[in-house]
Amino acid sequence: MSTFINGLLRLRRGPWEMVASILIALGVVMLMQPFAIILYSWSFLITLIGTVMFIIVSHFPE
Amino acid sequence: MIDTSIDKAAKATPVGLARRIRGLSDRTIAWIFVAPTIFLLLAVNIFPLIWTIRLSFTDFRVNRPNRVVEWVGLRNYERILSDPDIWATMQATAHFLIWTIVLQVLIGFALAFLINKKFKGNDLWTTIIVFPMTLSPAVVGNFWTFLYQPQIGLFNYAVTFFTGADPASFSMIGDVHLAPWAIVIADTWMWTPFVMLICLAGLRSIPDSIYEAAECDRASKWRQFWTITVPMVLPFLMLAVLFRGIENFKMFDLVVQLTGGGPGNTTTLTSIDLKREAFEKWRTGYSSAYAVILFVTVFGLASIYVKALNKVKER
Amino acid sequence: MSFSVTEPSKRTKWLAGILVVGYALITISPLIWIIATGFKSGPDSIAYPPKMIFEPSLEGYVNLFTERTRATQDMLETAGPPKTWYDQIARDQGTVITGPSRYGARFLNSIIIGFGSTALCMLLGTAAAYAFSRFRVPLKDDLLFFILSTRMMPPIAVAIPIFLMFRNLGLNDTHLGMILLYTAVNLSLSVWLLKGFIDEIPIEYEEAALIDGYTRFQAFYKVVLPQAATGIASTAIFCLIFAWNEYAFAVLLTSGTAQTAPPFIPTIIGVGGKDWPAVAAGASIFLVPVMVFTILLRKHLLRGITFGAVRK
Repeated sequence: MSTFINGLLRLRRGPWEMVASILIALGVVMLMQPFAIILYSWSFLITLIGTVMFIIVSHFPE
Repeated sequence: MIDTSIDKAAKATPVGLARRIRGLSDRTIAWIFVAPTIFLLLAVNIFPLIWTIRLSFTDFRVNRPNRVVEWVGLRNYERILSDPDIWATMQATAHFLIWTIVLQVLIGFALAFLINKKFKGNDLWTTIIVFPMTLSPAVVGNFWTFLYQPQIGLFNYAVTFFTGADPASFSMIGDVHLAPWAIVIADTWMWTPFVMLICLAGLRSIPDSIYEAAECDRASKWRQFWTITVPMVLPFLMLAVLFRGIENFKMFDLVVQLTGGGPGNTTTLTSIDLKREAFEKWRTGYSSAYAVILFVTVFGLASIYVKALNKVKER
Repeated sequence: MSFSVTEPSKRTKWLAGILVVGYALITISPLIWIIATGFKSGPDSIAYPPKMIFEPSLEGYVNLFTERTRATQDMLETAGPPKTWYDQIARDQGTVITGPSRYGARFLNSIIIGFGSTALCMLLGTAAAYAFSRFRVPLKDDLLFFILSTRMMPPIAVAIPIFLMFRNLGLNDTHLGMILLYTAVNLSLSVWLLKGFIDEIPIEYEEAALIDGYTRFQAFYKVVLPQAATGIASTAIFCLIFAWNEYAFAVLLTSGTAQTAPPFIPTIIGVGGKDWPAVAAGASIFLVPVMVFTILLRKHLLRGITFGAVRK
């Protein structure tokens, strides 16, 4: 866990990609869940942030 | 350009010869080789993509070319993301996606596990199982409507044979409760072999020595399955799940031929809904925004997929 | 006799074999059913209970390739006795043949577009894959990811701007338009797969050729291409299968001259109601080549479906 936070702080690719992946997954789940329309409404924004973030952080050093 | 092979080759040869070898520089050749591909992809993929994004902020309609096009800002997005009907198509997609993945993973993994027991003739039977996967989804959807016919269909007949229900009493594609399952069954029939093949590759990548070591430690078969087999196959399984997830998120051909989105809207998956908006109602601006939402979602999932690909590649 | 702990016992093998064969028989039965339906007569195809044993008939195939109309009494009198065997089959159903159907033309379109796009795709794909494999291309990883992501895009979403673009360029419903489109979609797969195949060819071969005085181009087509032949062939079959099976773009962007078989087969109807034997015959002719390809490809199938990530 501490290596994960350390990686985040030092702008390493691995942990940041993990964060971006989780955001994308969260967005997709929000898009298709049947529980609350408010989650559906905000899902696209979350996915978009996750995707843009993924493109950026995949250029961080290993 | 420090130590490419050609440089090494050049250093090892006399000067005059080196010039002839090079002819065109590597950099030029690389560009000549890559440029047509990039150009075609720019023309057929990127340019249209940018066009879509632009259109998504307008109220353009293809069928009324002379009407003044107005910029509407984010209004198309607001309308789509607050529309309960589109939300419903997302849920229909989710139902389809989740159940196809669950069934395909369970059956696919089980099959791979059994095939990996290396019984006689397993190659032949694997090839037979793989057949549905490479067929045209639209044609498959079309002939499944024949199998699902009440009374005369093979599927209904098989159900009757095993349960004794009247084959004319239920219609897989005409009933609002059964239709979502009809598409799940057809897709599972078609794509289980895909998951099976990938799982099989995962199983075959596990070296025998690990099991031998476990056997020496007197670990039970059950324990070996959960501590060796499953974790080792998991990256492969992830790959299969992500790929099927992306494919079924954008599912169109199989389902549109099988049910056409009906009855009612019970099997109207997102792509089918988008097709209606774009090519039947001709609301081009609106459906462009719809398309962008799907693009971004698929693009995000594809990034995770490539990450999973690289993980498997390292094995 | 050597004993290995990882070798399954005889009983396990038997059990696994029976279960897998059982599944294979279930999964193949719809395919056999559809091929069989193609050889049934109209009434046999909709009989209840479904007929497992039936008298084979070429009715479906005759109906698939011909346009017919219900025969009236004086039509039969003026036409005289049936001249050919297919005339006879049409007469037996109480119809007369009025001309050929459009299936032949649609099938030919599938062949032209399928092979055309595959050829173009292999030409561009092999060159690009070689460059990605052997040279330093700036932004290589991003380009490769971009190429892959183009294949992932939902076809319906891509079709909106392509439809507009093709309309402006006059490419709607043309063979050229469809060939270019399918080439673009297939390029991702072919670049990724071929890069994998070319990566496996030892670079020493080319170095030797370069030292012998070959130029880069010569080294490429005299040394690398023959080595990559199997890879190129199997990649080509993958591209062909995709172009052959594609439906979404075909149904949206073609309507007549360039329409391929998949959008056409579901629209086959007979004289009075759905003609199932003809639909089944159309589907059979269309699907059987792909099954043959699947058998040819079985060693490389895994590689194709994982974009070259899984090698074995």
